[in-house]
Amino acid sequence: MTSTTLPLPGDDAHEEAHAEASAAVLVCKPLVKWHFTFAMFFMLTSMTAGFLVSLQFLDLYPFQGIRWLQYGRVRLMHTNEIAYGFLVNAFIGALYYAVPRLTGRRVASHGLGWIILVVWQFLMFATSIGQMLGFGQAVEWGETPTGFLPGTFHLVYIPVDFLIEFGAVLLAIQFLTPIAKAMHSKMYVSLWYISAGIVWLILTYVMGNTLPEWTLNGSSGAATAGLFIHDLVGLFVTPMGWGLMYFFVPIILRAPIWSHALSVIGFWALAFFYPLNGVHHFLLSSIPMSVQYGAVISTMAVEIVVTTVVVNFFATMWGKGHALRTNLPIRWFYTGMVFYFITCLQCFFHTTLSVQEIIHFTDWVPGHAHLVMLGVFAFWCIGIITWLWPRLTGNDWYSRRLNHWQYWLTMIGLFIMFVDLLAAGLMHGFMAKSLVPWMDIVRALRPYWEVRTFAGGMILLGQILFVWNLFQTTRHSKPYDYRVDLVDPEAA
Amino acid sequence: MDRFGSVILVAGLACFAFAFLLSGLYPYMITDHAVPAATIEDLASYVPADFKALKDAYPVSFAQRFSQAEAALTPRELVSLDASDPRRGQSEAAWQAAYAEALIQGRNLYISEVCWHCHSQYVRPVANESLRFGPVLTSDHDNNVLQQPVLWGTRRVGPDLTHEGRLRSNDWHVAHFFNPAEVTPGSIMPRYTWFYREGWQVMRRIDPGKADRTGLDPERAYGYPGVWETKAEAEAAMAQIKASLPSTLAGEAERMFVAEAEGPSSDLLSLIAYVQWLGTWTPPHLEQAQ
Repeated sequence: MTSTTLPLPGDDAHEEAHAEASAAVLVCKPLVKWHFTFAMFFMLTSMTAGFLVSLQFLDLYPFQGIRWLQYGRVRLMHTNEIAYGFLVNAFIGALYYAVPRLTGRRVASHGLGWIILVVWQFLMFATSIGQMLGFGQAVEWGETPTGFLPGTFHLVYIPVDFLIEFGAVLLAIQFLTPIAKAMHSKMYVSLWYISAGIVWLILTYVMGNTLPEWTLNGSSGAATAGLFIHDLVGLFVTPMGWGLMYFFVPIILRAPIWSHALSVIGFWALAFFYPLNGVHHFLLSSIPMSVQYGAVISTMAVEIVVTTVVVNFFATMWGKGHALRTNLPIRWFYTGMVFYFITCLQCFFHTTLSVQEIIHFTDWVPGHAHLVMLGVFAFWCIGIITWLWPRLTGNDWYSRRLNHWQYWLTMIGLFIMFVDLLAAGLMHGFMAKSLVPWMDIVRALRPYWEVRTFAGGMILLGQILFVWNLFQTTRHSKPYDYRVDLVDPEAA
Repeated sequence: MDRFGSVILVAGLACFAFAFLLSGLYPYMITDHAVPAATIEDLASYVPADFKALKDAYPVSFAQRFSQAEAALTPRELVSLDASDPRRGQSEAAWQAAYAEALIQGRNLYISEVCWHCHSQYVRPVANESLRFGPVLTSDHDNNVLQQPVLWGTRRVGPDLTHEGRLRSNDWHVAHFFNPAEVTPGSIMPRYTWFYREGWQVMRRIDPGKADRTGLDPERAYGYPGVWETKAEAEAAMAQIKASLPSTLAGEAERMFVAEAEGPSSDLLSLIAYVQWLGTWTPPHLEQAQ
């Protein structure tokens, strides 16, 4: 696998060379590289924050008594940096590579690209600093500071929310321009997902950062906040993730997507059912029951959508299963898809009111969220970065062994964390229902929290190895021959 | 733009709008739309005794935060006023203004310290939750300005706080925020030590001869309410206390002294006022129905 004298050229190698040549003309590689660099930076800070807050549960939190590094505020940094710092940066970087190659056109402006890069990192630092100063707002996954005192128009900090909106509009200009120009030809499904994701991001962000803060309160505020939580994941992160998978999986496997009809069904079913799920974050509350039942049913419908998409991808891999063993990006992608299926299957069951009764308010939910955000979307982003980094720097990997260490540490660590939090959630839920005194529940959960911290340490270590590897790869010039990473060099 | 592209765009926007209509606007139209949201003046129209007690127990911090403190008189202070004294009439309005301010500031601290990530504020009608935490509330209960943004929460690392108000004393909260594990052994709640400020307090040891009768430790000093910023202020306060001692207790003055001490800051008083408010408010139209 490390040999550079493979039997070549076949069709694959020829095509790959062609693709590289077209990428060199269309893609602004430094932009991709810098977005990935910041993505990795925020991934490390976010995971460090997550690891630290897990220590609070074990009475080992090191910054006890320091207000700006207080448990609650650092916990906000954990979720917001992974969503907006890591995922968004990694998605933007991948879009700078994918969109020009899908449309055959450059993005609107590379100058604008550098502005977006700077604006977005500024907003991320402003978010984290604002949260440390106590300006995080009380909307889950949208804790980016509005800059205003809650419910008033009294400005006390940088209005990050509104600037993010501005950044999202810049993103739309950047990527929708080439897509709109390419629209006269047949649009590949990736572009559907990507353009829809960008437009939905703008709408979702406006909705979630104005209505619950200044107009709606109580149960109707909760309905909108739930809608925001879910739209952000369902209408931005998910379309971006799948859009990129529809691009990267076929070009790495060198196989067309199995069924285009199925991919279009998957897209429209996502567009229709996903946004209807919002209220399932506040089930069994004083939101009208009709709305809650609607959310439960459409959440179940999403599982059917997901199945079609996952089937499509596994059928695409038909006959090329060995790629899972030989090709690390493909392994990240498909592990993510298996986790995606598990997450959504989990949704199917735990959105029902009888399961909600037990698992809501418990560790089950963070377990579920980690599987989605880390196990699916972060895995895909890591896979994309792993595939692109040698192509961006022109250097071969400093150590492929480290990449494998990262994969196994992250995968096993995440799986331990997931199972552990699920078990903790069930314990908590049943003990709470049995009216066990609160402090006895806390004591009973402690072993689970110890395992969680251990698993978190494994994941963090995996990412540290990855960042070290990326850094060393950039530094050591060792010419990269993309032919070594072809899935089927012999078959060509 | 090509017609096919426009169809996609319109259909995508329609899906978003449909979802917003169904799970955003529709629940609003059939619940909160019918009843006007309670303003902070509504919520603060009745000032509970436990809020007034904060002024008695922590007079210095209270005066630092609430400009109305001078006019807001505690029951203890009212007793010494004549029935015709005009300050009686002003007192209740001053209390309401101070209480409104405390609730808003307390809620803002609840958000900025991210309490809402570990404590929920809604009780579900399942899993015996109403036995543990108290009655299930309707959407009208939460239709008030303090639930904007909504603070229901989605995780219970700590217990639900819907009905936390008046469940425990102010002093319990003062001790608990400083070190939760000391008050509730095994608690993993963080310490909020920045809510306490250092200053000077008037202290007194008890009469050793009466130690048996009171059960108090004659070796320890007990503080008078109020942690003053400077030693001079504390000494002035001590002089005032000494001057107001009845002649039968003149001996007490000898055992008084001023010492460095720590006490809750004005921020903490607001936060406690907010926590003590939780679950105590019922919308007027529901109150009449009961």
